[in-house]
Amino acid sequence: MKSSIHLSDSVKALLRPGVVLLAVAAVAAFVLGGVSLATSGRIESIAAEKLSASMQAVLPADGYEDLGIEDNGEVEAAYAASNGGWVVQTTESGSQGLVTMLVGVDGSYACTGVSILDSSETAGLGAIAGQASEKGEAFRAQFVGQTAVVAVTKDGGEIDAITGATITSRAVCAGVTAALEYCAAIEPDGSVPQPLSDAG
Amino acid sequence: MNRKQQFAEGTITNNPVLVQQIGLCATMAISTTLFNGIGMGLSVLIILTCCNVVISLIRKIIPGQVRLAIFVVVIAGFVTIVDLLLQAFVPALSESLGVFIPLIVVNCIIIGRAEAFSSKHDVKDSFFDGVFQGVGYTLVLIAMCLIRELLGSGTIGGGLLNGASGFITLDGTGAGIRIFSDTYAAGALVLPFGGFLTLGVLMALLQHILSKSAARKAAKEKEVSD
Repeated sequence: MKSSIHLSDSVKALLRPGVVLLAVAAVAAFVLGGVSLATSGRIESIAAEKLSASMQAVLPADGYEDLGIEDNGEVEAAYAASNGGWVVQTTESGSQGLVTMLVGVDGSYACTGVSILDSSETAGLGAIAGQASEKGEAFRAQFVGQTAVVAVTKDGGEIDAITGATITSRAVCAGVTAALEYCAAIEPDGSVPQPLSDAG
Repeated sequence: MNRKQQFAEGTITNNPVLVQQIGLCATMAISTTLFNGIGMGLSVLIILTCCNVVISLIRKIIPGQVRLAIFVVVIAGFVTIVDLLLQAFVPALSESLGVFIPLIVVNCIIIGRAEAFSSKHDVKDSFFDGVFQGVGYTLVLIAMCLIRELLGSGTIGGGLLNGASGFITLDGTGAGIRIFSDTYAAGALVLPFGGFLTLGVLMALLQHILSKSAARKAAKEKEVSD
């Protein structure tokens, strides 16, 4: 008799931490579900707004049609603008992480602008590429009118890099080049190529 | 518990960053503009206070063996709530703080206060501990931001104030008030190692002041006893 009481006590002592942890986690999950449900609509609409504002900045047009291409890790998405150009979303590795940008390309395959959507580059150095500051604007303005392969001056191109190490600048150049290459491959009849899976 | 003493501890004598030296990673990484500093400070203050209250509420049913796991669940819950709310209502701040908001989960200030304070004190005391420690953290962040931003980019109030007129922009687009041209700014201070330098100087300053006031106190007591 004595031993059975002892046993049930030790079972209780074993189970209690798990049960309490489970209860706390369940309450947390429930609350988080509610908050996520309440905020997801707003978060999505903010992301969509930001995307359309960036599209207008790189290639102003009345409308954009998503071409629905497959993301190959470099060329992520492409949109046909109503005025005959394209907006291509590309991603390259920068110095701290991935740099995601939107590149505007006009009907004659020249770059009309570039806008950094997302990056985690070094504050004060690479981060300037995406900032709304004077230096950032000047850096991005260099890409307007560029065709074919875009490179920094150190690599024999025309783009003045924002920092000496040119890591972020090279990433942006590679992104713009990939976008231009992709648009050049779009057939005159409007049929859309899928980006090569080994690109990048 | 004496609130005045608790306030002095949180902000100065037991300041989480300068004296306890916890939560340094995010401190160093985001204290580059005033907007970031205030945003991060307030986020930590809110999360810390909520966690302190909840952990103090359930402190009697938390089994000792799994207390750290429970702390982390509570902290991660509040961090995620704040993260989602920031994304939905202050997207500029969420963007500029980036990964450092989710990283508050592993910020030692919160788990440290849970272990050292709120799991042993009642709800009221824990609430004030959260607020005061949060204020202490925010004050250090603001000080670091002011120093690094002024010397590192030549502006004051980046993201929060705009241009020479100095009106407040809450969307984080303000360029700050320019004090001197950024050609003369020590850009290194904006980099992580500039954060280490600034933090070291602030710690040394506080220790200097604290040891002086302690010496004065001791001298006074000696006079009285003599």
